[in-house]
Amino acid sequence: MIAIPFPNPIKTSGLRPGNRRFPRLPHNFPVSFMANPRFLYPLHGLGQMLRARIFKPSKYSLPTRVGIGCLKLVNLVCFAHLFVEYVGTISTMEGPSMLPTLGNEGEIVVVDRLSTRLDPYNIARGELLILLSPLNPKRYICKRVVGLPGDVVCVDPTGQQAPSTEHVRIPKGHIWIMGDNADASRDSRIYGPVPIGLVQGKLRTRLWPPSKFQMFGSNMTYID
Amino acid sequence: MQNKRWFPRAGALRTPLRILYWAPLGIVLTTHWYNVRVISGPSMQPTLNPEWSLSKDYAVFDKVAVLDKQDCHRGDIITLKSPLDPKYKLIKRIVAEEGDTVKTLPPYPLKEVKIPQGYVWVEGDDPFNSDDSNMFGPVPRALIESKLVFLIWPPSRVGKLEEPKLPLSGTGPTFRRAMAAFERAHARQSRVTPAAKIVIPERV
Repeated sequence: MIAIPFPNPIKTSGLRPGNRRFPRLPHNFPVSFMANPRFLYPLHGLGQMLRARIFKPSKYSLPTRVGIGCLKLVNLVCFAHLFVEYVGTISTMEGPSMLPTLGNEGEIVVVDRLSTRLDPYNIARGELLILLSPLNPKRYICKRVVGLPGDVVCVDPTGQQAPSTEHVRIPKGHIWIMGDNADASRDSRIYGPVPIGLVQGKLRTRLWPPSKFQMFGSNMTYID
Repeated sequence: MQNKRWFPRAGALRTPLRILYWAPLGIVLTTHWYNVRVISGPSMQPTLNPEWSLSKDYAVFDKVAVLDKQDCHRGDIITLKSPLDPKYKLIKRIVAEEGDTVKTLPPYPLKEVKIPQGYVWVEGDDPFNSDDSNMFGPVPRALIESKLVFLIWPPSRVGKLEEPKLPLSGTGPTFRRAMAAFERAHARQSRVTPAAKIVIPERV
């Protein structure tokens, strides 16, 4: 069999009378994909495909088709919203409260929202969490979990916000959160234990800057 | 040129695929904007699920007003994630907002509480059947999920829940219920000292 590697004047489909120079070929005559105009002139092929999609005979009128297109766009936006809300997202971070771990600005991280959606109690001490701020419900904050329900924690070991001898037992359904940079962080030392319902997700990975790529996990060591 | 489709035009898979394709729009419209929910539990009696009602109440809840504009204030009925167990949702009424001072009811250890920044005080209308802020203290505003807009079932009470007014005339159970509702609202409001609003006088 012959494969023709250039634009083929010989039509393999459609009605055309055959003659000696351009014989009539069977419909499944093998033509190299390189001879396909979509491969030879990709932009031209794209334009053709678009034109075919827009001007193809349809049972709907043009306004209806425009409406369906808009609805599809809205549907896409909804899909993106649901993905960000339930599965995870990539977001930037700013603020000094987690400083040795996370920079002040210009860092991009992966937020996992699926695991806390599936099981709100799936939280370990030492993990980095994204929460809604108890002080301002429109703000997201990033803090480290220090205590789980039932734990006894020291309110402030540094003694800045409370005497360093004060200890509390964390009530049911609450966690104790703290920023790594105690001097520049408003956290459970100020507003006490926060409900688990405020947890929005976990910080999994730092993507940017590439030199500081890191997977975050629980960094707690237990002394028995 | 044959136009190939990425899924078959006719076949057993076609309808499910179409439903899957349009599902995001439906889910967002019905659960992230307005949603209809059944109200269960006695904590908001007799405003919702009153004892004399034969069926449970169904209501439309607005999520966008709460998430976007934080448009929920004293007296609004809201749903929130339980601070004691995030898997459960509660329906309560906002009694006080940040800066207000509330006189608490028995289970709470303190006589009076000043609500801190970003927190609200929520209570059920039936204090005997309700686990509310009198048990777990003020809750962060961020736990609030949606706000009740209007009831759609049972048919006798369809519509918005309005602030009870002093019934001026009438007799029988309707009058007594209206009077009791007014007294309850009055008792609730009288326990709250609203935060002092800072009004900057205009210079003349």
